[in-house]
Amino acid sequence: MFKWKCPTPNGLPSLPLLALVASSLILLFASAPIVEISLDRIFNSWGPLLDFLGYLLVSPDWPYLQQLGAKLLETVEMTLLATAIATVISLPVGVLAAKNASPHPMVYHFTREALSFMRALPELVWALVFVSAVGLGPLPGVMALAFVTVGFMAKFIAESIEVVGEQAIEGIQSTGSNRIQTIMFAIMPQALPDFAGTLFYILDHNLRAATILGLVGAGGIGYDMVMSMRLFNYNRIIMIAIAIYLLVTLIDRLSDILRHRIIEGSKHARTR
Amino acid sequence: MAIKINNIHKVYNNGFKALTNLSLEIERGKFTAILGSSGAGKSTLLRAINGLETITSGSITVSGVTVCKKNLRTVRSDAAMVFQNYNLVNRLSVMANVLTGRLSKRNPLLSLLHLFPKEDYAIADDALSCVGMETSPWSRADKLSGGQQQRVGIARALAQNPSIILADEPVASLDPVSSTEVLTLLKNIARDRNITVVTSLHQVDFAKEYADRIIGMNAGQIVFDGAPTELTENVLERIYQKSPVKEIPDVQMEVSYA
Repeated sequence: MFKWKCPTPNGLPSLPLLALVASSLILLFASAPIVEISLDRIFNSWGPLLDFLGYLLVSPDWPYLQQLGAKLLETVEMTLLATAIATVISLPVGVLAAKNASPHPMVYHFTREALSFMRALPELVWALVFVSAVGLGPLPGVMALAFVTVGFMAKFIAESIEVVGEQAIEGIQSTGSNRIQTIMFAIMPQALPDFAGTLFYILDHNLRAATILGLVGAGGIGYDMVMSMRLFNYNRIIMIAIAIYLLVTLIDRLSDILRHRIIEGSKHARTR
Repeated sequence: MAIKINNIHKVYNNGFKALTNLSLEIERGKFTAILGSSGAGKSTLLRAINGLETITSGSITVSGVTVCKKNLRTVRSDAAMVFQNYNLVNRLSVMANVLTGRLSKRNPLLSLLHLFPKEDYAIADDALSCVGMETSPWSRADKLSGGQQQRVGIARALAQNPSIILADEPVASLDPVSSTEVLTLLKNIARDRNITVVTSLHQVDFAKEYADRIIGMNAGQIVFDGAPTELTENVLERIYQKSPVKEIPDVQMEVSYA
């Protein structure tokens, strides 16, 4: 007889847990028709998919390469700038949104609500809003990216701050430090290394988000990408697709290396 | 009078009476040990002096300054604390930890960038050599042994240039050898720098050996206040409700070697 490993008093599997898992699965399958899941359609999709891939294997539109490069550069620049601006803003905002570091419960709740609102809509939607406000081009794109990034980043920072060890905080407080000093010396040194990994994840995400902002005229490769698809300009579609893939992979690898450097670095003793 | 405690009460939100009707005066430069079982209120008392706990009623003055929200920075700057779990910032270096002792004297905006004036580095160096940790100022604090970390904690307290050091069970997490090192260090600091040291301890022997004056607490009140020589069995019984010596069972056990 197969015995579960989770310790229950009578050795039998935990019935409430089984019931929960079973009912969740049943609910999922029952609601599948809402998203029109049809195994039939999936299995029959090979044909059209292979056709499409066939169209892509055309000779690239080489003269387009220069504009492609410029647009990609713009996309990367938007990502880096937006993420940097968001980081600078998120650090103090994250402090306000952390229960153990916020100056007043009302400030804490208000900040949390505001951040929640900033995260609620995707970057693309905010980009639309900012395009209406400041006009076309990469500027609204940067604003939209930074806006949403603050929503996420400040939340992550606040959460890193909230799990910081109480003892170090008390140790610093007992010396007579004021609020800002306590945050800088007891809280940040503990919270920031945790946060470093999240920073790279966000950078990664922002690059992908930046590639489609052009859809609403907010700069980057997005506009070219959508127009080529609409005009069935496969010569360009293939170039754009491969270029984006290479770019994202490159940033991915760089982030990995940097993140590992930071983690290793924080483990060793510092030498002056 | 270095520390003056006037009829204080501390009642927690759940109704627990941590300190009841407690009055105490401690002179400058003496080494005082507080004994008592867990929950007797030793930690609460020390933390109340530093302002980490707020008392429900009564008053505490430290070097003439009343302990209240307004004066916290002044009081804490003058009455440094050493903790059972060292309470260092683990990811920072030894030197950075000791430098935080200077925070109360420094402009908050400058310290934002972890900048300290040269004199502070000199004071930190002096504190570190006093505790014998001058050889590894740039190691990360959590890479040190317990005894070393506690010495860094003491260095941080010294860096504040305090007139009082409050030690909350400073050797409870240390082995006997490190404990003796730390207590000897505190005793020498008290004597050489004319600093008032008040420490809570579990080990009665340590208290007898190092303290000039012993205060026994039980259930939030002081039940003994005198010299180590006056610490009799009866007194210990009063403090711990059972004399520690009598806890060793004096029973003939039937042991069978099967």
